[in-house]
Amino acid sequence: MIGRLGRSLLPERHSASGTWRSWKWYLGNYIFILPFMILFCIFILRPILASFQMSFFRWEIFGPKPFIGFENYEELLTDDLWWVALRNTVYFAFLTSALLTTIPIFIAIALNMPFRGRNVFRTLFFFPYVLSASVVGLVMRWLLGQQFGIVNHLLGSAGIGPIPFIADSDLVIPSLSVITLWWAFGFPMLIYLAGLSNIPQDIYEAARIDGARGWQMTRYITIPLLRPIILFVAVTQLISHFQVFAQPYVITNGGPAQDSFTVIFYMFRAAWTYFRMGFGTAMAVSLAVIIMAFTLLQFRFGGRRLEY
Amino acid sequence: MQVEARPQEETDINVQISRIALYLLLTILAFAILFPFYWMVATSLKTNPEAFYYPPDFIPPEPTLEHYHEIMTRGDINVPRWGWNSLVIAVATTAVTLFVTSLAAYGFARLDFPFKNVIFIVVVFTLMIPSQIYMIPNYLLVRDLGWLDTYHAVIWPAAPNVFGLFLLRQFFSTFPRELEEAAIVDGASRLRIYWQILIPVNRNALIALGIFVFLHSWNDLFWPLIVLSRVENRTLPVGLAVLAGAYGAGDSFSEPALIMAASSMSSIPVLIVYVIFQRRITQSFMLTGMGGR
Repeated sequence: MIGRLGRSLLPERHSASGTWRSWKWYLGNYIFILPFMILFCIFILRPILASFQMSFFRWEIFGPKPFIGFENYEELLTDDLWWVALRNTVYFAFLTSALLTTIPIFIAIALNMPFRGRNVFRTLFFFPYVLSASVVGLVMRWLLGQQFGIVNHLLGSAGIGPIPFIADSDLVIPSLSVITLWWAFGFPMLIYLAGLSNIPQDIYEAARIDGARGWQMTRYITIPLLRPIILFVAVTQLISHFQVFAQPYVITNGGPAQDSFTVIFYMFRAAWTYFRMGFGTAMAVSLAVIIMAFTLLQFRFGGRRLEY
Repeated sequence: MQVEARPQEETDINVQISRIALYLLLTILAFAILFPFYWMVATSLKTNPEAFYYPPDFIPPEPTLEHYHEIMTRGDINVPRWGWNSLVIAVATTAVTLFVTSLAAYGFARLDFPFKNVIFIVVVFTLMIPSQIYMIPNYLLVRDLGWLDTYHAVIWPAAPNVFGLFLLRQFFSTFPRELEEAAIVDGASRLRIYWQILIPVNRNALIALGIFVFLHSWNDLFWPLIVLSRVENRTLPVGLAVLAGAYGAGDSFSEPALIMAASSMSSIPVLIVYVIFQRRITQSFMLTGMGGR
């Protein structure tokens, strides 16, 4: 395909395509993408293919690396820990994404109102997002401890608890979700604010003339108009939280027992604690297939343009 | 949501009540955001036994900087060194990424060559595949190259940023064709069009992508955790995460004041930078978060 620049720049060379001069011109164009493409092939394309390949081998750091067909995948099917990790991951991903998709809508609507000091709130609310998961994890672990955590002390003075937020089998995943909400809600909030600023004000004017008030406007105008963005946020959040690793690594180390093992945490353990690289790639490939299914959803919904 | 926009409604009692409710809600939220920071800093200024006092002191009774001093002098919690590693890696990653990505974005947006669309589709397709799938093969490659425990191991694999390519290509594509042709008539080469027209014109998009890449690199945990193992080579997130394991005790810590001092020391510079550049940073995330839409 000959684009417009080629045409406008080189009308005569275009007609003589295949000659040495036009090939020289094309080679010059390739140079622009060359550094990127070399790095892309080495660090993205090659490892994707290599992961598929390695997942069919018993690939451990030392010793022979025999081809074993689907054995790694068969092992996953019968591995209780894999199913625990997958269940935890799905639970965490859906819960966290639900929180991070819905709650920031209302915060963004509040912060979209004209009032004094709203930029201070915006700045403040986004701040946790720029911190590393490690800082957030250490601080939250210190806050939420059953015996010495300040949160339990405060709850205790209200006559509640103590609650073992991150030491209880049933509470650990919801706790990690709420911690993630605290850490990351500023990002969807900004996306919603961008979306809100694109809604023309005259729609609200018209609705006001028709007698709509406060909550009705939110319910029947703002949220329907934000719908494409809400879907976009939901799917991107889901994809990113399926890959959760830092929260269990820093806060719970997969515990209590294995109740906050996630797929990537398990892959990390398999590959870098037990050096079972082939088994680890089988997990990565399996998770990739699951995530790609959700990405296809994003393509399905994300392709839509916003229209008002 | 537009109650305040109409002056004649200002006196309406409902408006006043909803405004008070709004401030109250936002203030509670602000408290929930700020308190963990306060508690981190407050704990870091206590001694370790004081951190376990019951009932806890909300204000450190005798503030001490002993843990900050300890961090500066101990080898195994070398926060300044980790901060330096993080800074070098994040700056280098941002520079390399912006350079190779913008160059390629120019190629894909404005130039022609055989198989351009096929190559671009293959590249963008990989956006669908989660990055964890690269990790094991890339680790083995980096090990074979002898790059373990070096900055190279972290910088180069991050340089081909497919999302950044996609974003910049969109911006470069919108540049008016007529202006570019005028430059060509004036005898500008491809390299000059890239460097003297597209880069300055799309300055804001590049800065936005740069901030995005920098923060991701600065905060990344998984990959540096794998490839940087020696204490003095760790980045801040890796160093702190390892501390969580080393000083973890049940759902708490054996030396909380020390751990909170390390956390404070690594997040206060971030806080300062954030306050100075907050407008740029939030704009960057608005732009990149929407995929440049």
